[in-house]
This record gives sequence, C-alpha cells and structure tokens, in this order.
Amino acid sequence: MELKKTRADIISTVEFNHTGELLATGDKGGRVVIFQREQESKNQVHRRGEYNVYSTFQSHEPEFDYLKSLEIEEKINKIRWLPQQNAAYFLLSTNDKTVKLWKVSERDKRPEGYNLKDEEGRLRDPATITTLRVPVLRPMDLMVEATPRRVFANAHTYHINSISVNSDYETYMSADDLRINLWNFEITNQSFNIVDIKPANMEELTEVITAAEFHPHHCNTFVYSSSKGTIRLCDMRASALCDRHTKFFEEPEDPSNRSFFSEIISSISDVKFSHSGRYIMTRDYLTVKVWDLNMENRPIETYQVHDYLRSKLCSLYENDCIFDKFECVWNGSDSVIMTGSYNNFFRMFDRNTKRDVTLEASRENSKPRAILKPRKVCVGGKRRKDEISVDSLDFSKKILHTAWHPSENIIAVAATNNLYIFQDKVN
Amino acid sequence: MEFKLEAHRIVSISLGKIYNSRVQRGGIKLHKNLLVSLVLRSARQVYLSDPCPGLYLAGPAGSPAAPPQQPGEPAAGPPAGWGEPPPPAACVAWPETEPQPERPADPAPPRVGAAEPAAPVTGAGDALRAGEMEEAEAAWRRVEGPREAAEGGAGVFAGAEGPRGARRHCGCPPGGEDRPGALGACPRVDCRCAPRPAEDEPPAPPAVGPRKRGAAGVGGGPAGGPAPGSSPLKKPRRNSEEQPGGAEEEEEMETGNVANLISIFGSSFSGLLRKSPGGGREEAEGEESGPEAAEPGQICCDKPVLRDINPWSTAIVAF
Repeated sequence: MELKKTRADIISTVEFNHTGELLATGDKGGRVVIFQREQESKNQVHRRGEYNVYSTFQSHEPEFDYLKSLEIEEKINKIRWLPQQNAAYFLLSTNDKTVKLWKVSERDKRPEGYNLKDEEGRLRDPATITTLRVPVLRPMDLMVEATPRRVFANAHTYHINSISVNSDYETYMSADDLRINLWNFEITNQSFNIVDIKPANMEELTEVITAAEFHPHHCNTFVYSSSKGTIRLCDMRASALCDRHTKFFEEPEDPSNRSFFSEIISSISDVKFSHSGRYIMTRDYLTVKVWDLNMENRPIETYQVHDYLRSKLCSLYENDCIFDKFECVWNGSDSVIMTGSYNNFFRMFDRNTKRDVTLEASRENSKPRAILKPRKVCVGGKRRKDEISVDSLDFSKKILHTAWHPSENIIAVAATNNLYIFQDKVN
Repeated sequence: MEFKLEAHRIVSISLGKIYNSRVQRGGIKLHKNLLVSLVLRSARQVYLSDPCPGLYLAGPAGSPAAPPQQPGEPAAGPPAGWGEPPPPAACVAWPETEPQPERPADPAPPRVGAAEPAAPVTGAGDALRAGEMEEAEAAWRRVEGPREAAEGGAGVFAGAEGPRGARRHCGCPPGGEDRPGALGACPRVDCRCAPRPAEDEPPAPPAVGPRKRGAAGVGGGPAGGPAPGSSPLKKPRRNSEEQPGGAEEEEEMETGNVANLISIFGSSFSGLLRKSPGGGREEAEGEESGPEAAEPGQICCDKPVLRDINPWSTAIVAF
C-alpha cells in the first residue's frame, strides 16, 4: 500500500468575493490566503489591478475525534464570502466537519501615548503619575487581522462538501454526504436539518449528496446534486424537512454508453446557479450541463469537457482520477462557463457562440502579460505539431478549482499548489 | 471472456480500494466507497453472468436475487444490532462441516451452494477458507467497534486482526483477546458456547461480543454506546458495523479467489442489487441485513449459521 504524500499547500478551494476585490484560497493544510486587488492608479493606467496577498491565516487545524477514533482533516473544502456590510470582510470556511465564520479587518492606526507604563512596559507606580494623557491614534503600517467570530461544529456526521450563503444574508446551509443543515449566523449551538437522505438501513444506501447551493435571489429555494447524477430543487416553505423535492432534474441515461463506470461518471461533482437564477450548471466527470429550472427532464446544453477520456475510464479508475471532483463556474453575465481538466488544462465554453477553448495553466506558458495559447488534445490519428496526445496527458496535474470575477473577465485557476490569475486583454 | 477477465480485474482493484480507504486520513469517504461498491456490483454481475467454463465460479450464475432476509431489520428494532449472529462466510467456507439444516430457510441456498463448490475447486482451497474466515472474523470484530466510529469511518477499528486462535464456535472471541473493551470470557451473556459437535473448523468469527443489547452498552470499544450528542443520527445503527474491514483480509488473498468473494459478497449488495433500469432509488430490501436482524434475546448459537457476510457492505455501511 502506498501512501500518497500530499502537500499542505495544495489549493483546495478558490472564491472571489462579491465585488471581486478579494480572492480567497484555501489549502489542504487548513490555511486561507486572501488576495486583494490593488487599486488602479493613475500612473499606471495600463496596469490592471493585480492581486497581492492581503491576509493569511490558519483557519482549521487537524483534529482527532476521540469518540470515533477518527482523524479530521484540516483541508479547507469550501470558502464562501458574505456580502460586505461594513469595513470588515466576512467569510465562511469549512473543513470536513466544522464551519467557521472569519472576520477580516484592517487596522491602520494604533493608540499611542499611554503614560501608565514605562518604556519597558512595566506598570508605573500610580503615585508617580501626575498627568493624565489621553492616547492618540497614530497611523501605523497596515495590519490585516483575521479573527474567528463563530464556530459551527458538531452538526455533521459525514463529510461536509458544500456551504452556501443564503440571499437573506442571515442564514447559510452546510451539506454533507447525507444531510443538509441550515444555520443562522448568530447561532452556533444549533442548526436545522432540512434534508436527510440517510436510509434507515445503511445497506440500502444508493446515493449521496454531492453539492448544494442556495438560489441567488429566492431565499427559500436551494438545489442539491447527487451521486446518481440528479438534481433536486427544494422549497423551504413547503415543509420543515425538505426530503421531498419540488423539482427533480434527471437526464435519461444513454444505454449505448453503459460501462462498469457509468455510475461513477454520472456522479455530479458541482452544481452552480447562474447569476440570473434561471439556470443551474452541473459538472460530472466528462461533461458540463446547463439546465433550465423550468425543464426537468433533460439539460438544455451539454458540453464535453474531455470526452477522449471515455475510453480510458478503467485506467482512471485504477489511479483514482475518476473520483476527481471538478468544479464549474459561470462568468458574470452567464454567457461563458468554465471548468478544469487534466494536464493543467481548463476549458471555457461560450454558450452563445457555442465556441470553446482549452487553455493551459503552467509557468512555462504563462509569462506575465503573455497571451494564453489555445491547446488541443489529439484524439487519434496524426498528431499535429502543437497538439498533445491523450496518452501524454499528465493526470497528476488537474485543475479542480477555478473562479471567475463577478463582473470582469478575470479568472483564478488553481493548479495543485499554484494559483494563476488571468485577465482579459485590455483592448 | 475478455469481459470476465476485465470484470475480475476490476473487482480486485475495487476491493483494494475499499481496503485502502480504511487507512486514509480523514476517515472513510462515504461517497467514494459507494461509487466503488457500484463498480464492484457491476463487475460482479458481468463476472457471474458471463458463462465461461473452467473458472471456479460459484453456483448458479448471476447470483439469484437475494432472498428476503430473515428477521430483517425491525423497523424500530432494539437499539442494538448487538447479538448479531456470526457471519456466514466462515461457515460457507466449510461446506462439509456446515450442516445445512443449521440454517434457517432464508439465507439463499444458492449462496451457500455458490460458495461450496468453489471451495473444493480452488487450488488454494484451504487458503481460501482461511482467508475468508479471517475476513469474516475481521468484519465481525469490527462490529464491536464504537458505532460512531463506524459512522465516521472506522478508523482504528478497521484493523481487525486479532488473535485468530481457537474461537468458540459461536463466534465469541476466545478469552483474553486483546480488543479494547473486550471482555475476557465469552462476552455474550446469552451465548451458551456449547461445543458444537462435528465442528472442528475455526469457529465463526466473534459476534458483537462485549456489547450488550440495550442501553447500558458495555463499551465494545472506546466509544461504548452511541454518544447522544455526538451525531445527529436518527436511528440506531443496527446494521452495525460491518465495516469495510472485511476487505482488509481480502487484500491478502490472491485475486484468484475473487470469484468466491463475489459470490459471498454478492448477497450483500442488497440495496444495490436491484437497481431499477430507470435509475430510480432502489427499493429497500430487507435482506442482507446481516447482523442487525437479530431479535433481541436471540442466542447466537441458534442464529442461522449461514448468514451472509457483509464485509463489503460494511464499507459503505461503516457509518
């Protein structure tokens, strides 16, 4: 049995905040790194705001559940931002078991002028103090501090795979393999269980929850995807326990594609509402699908991400790649969708023009301000000069996590332990 | 034929994954194990249904639909699956010493039949039996682990092997076994442990052992009974903790014995076996509920000797 050594700095989640000013990443070591876009200055008109490290903190530590004799990984599974309501920023970060609300705030002034302590910091004898000095706030180097404001723990028996902030900004949900809980940000010692698909007899288990998200505008609506390739839309007004869905999205299986691995590749790894709230996008192993909320029996669009892998499923099963959970994202206008692949490739699909492009995130190909060259995978026959054959793809270089700026064409792509930020060419 | 070989290979790989999943950091991943179990089932179906002479394949091809399970999972049964009968595999592995009558009608005769012919045929018959025994034992040993541990993914307990020396036929662990929390003497209060005639073979793996049914569970392991606050479980975990432990022993078995494993495991895929073509949720099958089917107060020795071992289902049931 071989142990895979995973590096603690492998990025496990990427997320822009609502304005795009901040970009947060979480890694396997439980750390969160936040980047901030620098303000564009008049002096450097052509230098679009770049992202620099703004704050770094340890969000989760490895834990050991003594009751279950089980180690809890510190890996950050998801980060979700709250909309900004004051000078501070708030985000939720979660590992397999615990969700935390972090406050990230700046401090650029410090009070000075206390005369109660001497220069070495020892308290002075009150008898020697003859004057009252009111401390004055003086500027200091900017310090960004992150403090955990809430810890939402002990509500999940299984591994948390998703968190989603509700549009009411007062509640959020956390989903694990079998249950979804609804929380109020102010209350950490209880949560409402709103979905529970655990069968009475675990041997009857046939599917698990793989992702969940609230509707962007309707605070009563959310969706969750399953390992069987289905999506359920639920309305919390219907009942307290949303075990019965309001809508059920499923595409009939294509019998010609049946194989040992049909079920695995139909498992949905990510589900995202469009910004408009009209569509949902799902990612399974080989495709990305767009569904119209008003049509449950099949998606309105299906995009092949890397269909050339279909004949390699057995090898991908052996090396565990078939279990990779790719995410997918919408651009700000819902016209383009993006998702990752192997060999550090990522794909973009333009829903309107039906054009797609494959790009690569790698140091060799990405000098600053260089233009990304479209890549192509050669499926068979003669390989052209700059094409890559399927067999030379590096399956250890996978892009699972990507993010798209909410309003501009700026994307963040996590390639193992590197974060790439690409911006659309100006002019 | 190629399909069969392919299926065979996939089964081996899948079992290896289940085995390895136990030692992964962060506990057993339910989702991944579920998917692996689906592959295992598909491969098994192909393997069993592809007619191919010369392979020591168990009984009737395409393992019959699992018979309705015996006592099955009482809906709101006793709080424990404790007192589960010893898994059948061990018994299955010893066809000549396993008098059929000991079994209640339910457990699929075909399953037994399946395993029986297999044993003599394989070259490594004895090794096979021993291996199956071990895995059965391992699975059962796991049953003693804390519920929540299984819930979260049997970490420590997954490891199983303990003294495999003489065990009482009823499956109770021999005295002095060094499992955490295990009691010395036959832990099952109601186990008569009377020597069973004509049974010389390694006794069935220990039953749930130290845990008593009912409230005051003597801790079968570090976790003792389910800790009330620790998990939002709604129902007691009766199907106990057939953890993926079964798989750990399989790793040591040669893949040539996989066929037998399939026939043994086959019946374990209760919920998965009957996947309807439409892909809807599977029906709840009562069968294969394995240990938890025990009625309270049932004496282990009376339990059907041939019970389906569900070491496989433990992988996903582990929680």
